[in-house]
Amino acid sequence: MKKFLALLLAAMMILSLVPAMAAEAPLTISLYYSDNSTLPFRADWPALKAIQEKYNVVLNIEPIPIADYTTKVGLALSTGENAPDVILGTSTAGQNASLALNGAAVAISDYADWTPNFNARVAEFALEDDVEQLKLGDGKRYYLPQLYDKPFYDGGLILREDYLEAKGFAAPKTFDDLYEILKAYKADYPDSLPLTTIVAPRVLYRMTMPSWGVSLGLNAATGTSVLSWDYEKGEYFAGAISEQYKQYVTFFNKLYEEGLLDPEMTQDATLTSQKLATGKAMATYGYYDQIGGWTQGSEIEGFKLNMYPVLEGPGGAHHQPKNSTGGGIMFPIGTAKRADFEQVVRKIDEIFFSEEAAKIWCIGMEGTTYTMNGETIVYADEITSSADGIYKYMQNAYGCGCDGLQLVWYNAREMTKYDENYAAINAAVAAMPNAIQYIPATPSFDDLTAEDAALLQTTLADAWEVWNDAFLTGKKDIDAEWDAYVQDLKDKGIEQFCEIYNTYKK
Amino acid sequence: MTTIAAASQKNHIRERSLVLDIVIYLVMLFALIVCVVPFLYIIAMSFSSSEAILNNKVSLWPVGFTLEAYQQIVEYPNFFIAYGNTLIYTFCGTLFALTMMVLFAYPLSKNFLRGQSFLMKLVVFSMFFSGGLIPNYLLISSLGLTGTRFAMLIPFAINQFNLIILINFFKSLPGEIEEAALIDGLNWFGILIKIVLPLSGAALATVGLYTAVFFWNDWFYGLIYLNSSQYPVMLLLRNIVNGTTMVGDAGGVGEKASVAIAVKSAVIITSTLPIILLYPFLQKYFVKGMTVGAVKG
Repeated sequence: MKKFLALLLAAMMILSLVPAMAAEAPLTISLYYSDNSTLPFRADWPALKAIQEKYNVVLNIEPIPIADYTTKVGLALSTGENAPDVILGTSTAGQNASLALNGAAVAISDYADWTPNFNARVAEFALEDDVEQLKLGDGKRYYLPQLYDKPFYDGGLILREDYLEAKGFAAPKTFDDLYEILKAYKADYPDSLPLTTIVAPRVLYRMTMPSWGVSLGLNAATGTSVLSWDYEKGEYFAGAISEQYKQYVTFFNKLYEEGLLDPEMTQDATLTSQKLATGKAMATYGYYDQIGGWTQGSEIEGFKLNMYPVLEGPGGAHHQPKNSTGGGIMFPIGTAKRADFEQVVRKIDEIFFSEEAAKIWCIGMEGTTYTMNGETIVYADEITSSADGIYKYMQNAYGCGCDGLQLVWYNAREMTKYDENYAAINAAVAAMPNAIQYIPATPSFDDLTAEDAALLQTTLADAWEVWNDAFLTGKKDIDAEWDAYVQDLKDKGIEQFCEIYNTYKK
Repeated sequence: MTTIAAASQKNHIRERSLVLDIVIYLVMLFALIVCVVPFLYIIAMSFSSSEAILNNKVSLWPVGFTLEAYQQIVEYPNFFIAYGNTLIYTFCGTLFALTMMVLFAYPLSKNFLRGQSFLMKLVVFSMFFSGGLIPNYLLISSLGLTGTRFAMLIPFAINQFNLIILINFFKSLPGEIEEAALIDGLNWFGILIKIVLPLSGAALATVGLYTAVFFWNDWFYGLIYLNSSQYPVMLLLRNIVNGTTMVGDAGGVGEKASVAIAVKSAVIITSTLPIILLYPFLQKYFVKGMTVGAVKG
């Protein structure tokens, strides 16, 4: 009897351990990750390891080259074969929208109860409307987007601060100020082309046009090339044939005619770098973290570049519009067939959107990458002394601040990773009223209308490019040819195109 | 008199020939410069310091010699694994493809083979009409090949264009030799191995080179069928080039702008060097390949 009781007790003890053992088994999730060669993915990133250990999860991440990410994701979604459990860094833009609507992805908005951390961050950042706009035509949202509390001013006007100081110029506040600076530089260096472009004029257009109240071309905020968004009325308008655009192209034509704008419009980043480093150019529109490379390489004594807050134009001081949401997490439909689907969704929500996890993805592990001095984050010496700078070093060495893995972005916390100058510029821009406007939501077209709109857009975008180049370079006189240009775009259906967008706008 | 006239004419012809030679050499020299200078420039860029590149000092000779660009490439995670993968795909793929194509082409070169014409039509049909990306992907996936290295070998074992080259080459071989071998007691397989293949060096080298170049250059099928640990090096190099191209178009990647062109140049050298080294030895076959199978016997 004693033996029986002992056996029974032993059995009960073993059985009591079973649920605990089961609970300890880590959840395994496979993921696609968009891999950028300038920040190659490493499976041994300490932040990634810390997350896996802390949340008892095994993340089998498949890094896919960024240039081919859409192809691979599209194939996985459209065939449903060999799809991972989770796709990072994606959205329902482009073909993914129709794939999602045709049942290739999980409508994650149906499972809002399973994403409490995501819901909490959305509420914290007051992004309910932004997230609402991500719903497709069927009223469902198919991914958990990246969330930003405030948009970043990571790029803008970059020019030679040493020149401003030498000539006694104040920091430019308006485009007229910029014109005067460029003109002075041209007078001092007649062979120069003071304002140069980067990656064709796309960056220049998208960062400067909003100060005239339009956003056109390949990187137009509306994604339509020829329409712009009226922020007061909350509707689309034919920006390409507007008076604002006429003023814009007139201004840049003036720069071009006076030799202040670099006529080379198809150069790559290297050529831009060479022109800046050698003094052939003194200003461009680019990104803050490019300044280091250009400055280090220059042999000009006292060479100093800086980024400046948004300049004011006729339409106010506005930078390239940005959203407070970005590409995020999508679940292919096959994941819903997993018996533990709920746990997978809950785990993903926890490891990417919970406050603690978001902190790890951003600044790493307390005691390792940083310590807290009251409210202040103090980074480890190894990080602060790195020549790469805190931000880049933490990305490469720890996997912190990687675009695909960090889903929650607090502006103030991010600024601790940059130098004081960058933080000050960001603070200056944040203090400007509405300097970074929102991107209007993409309308929910039905398939037929989407096709009509795409056909019109292709023709209009091509026509705009040709006319814009001709106006900018003076091949066509803006005043004399303006009416013909407007008529040409009207003939090509710009008004009809605008009407379609306004009919289906959200 | 006649002798003098003949000598003068001879001299005249010799002079004309010399002038023509000079013109030909000059044209060829120009062609050579046009081909070699960009390559030398790329080599020089790949070995130059970012400061020298930024200050526009590099022409045909490296300035501020550095291996930084190559270091960046080889430090890329899995670079050597990927290079090894490509060598495996190129070597095994070429060997497997040659074997399969020879085994397919030889019977098809025989007009007395029943159904030969039908099979040829099938081959030609599939040359012009394919299933498309998604059906192909589904096929490879349902065969259980995705995520295995076989996905790079089996689907590309037979290339119709190369197959037709081989068929026509085999047809051009004298049938009498095979008849003699048959009379001597060799079977068809023995004839293929012992008679036909030893006579087909040029065709096999040409087709082998075409196939090797295909496997060496491929990145797309690697991308869609394989896992990241099985990726060929071309996919990695493509990603590196794209990464440097995107510099300036997005924040967060700009500090490497200065060496972007150096990295791009290093990638070009890394990816083309093995084929360039191989080319002089196989060039004659490439030239022959233009005519191999062009005339059928």
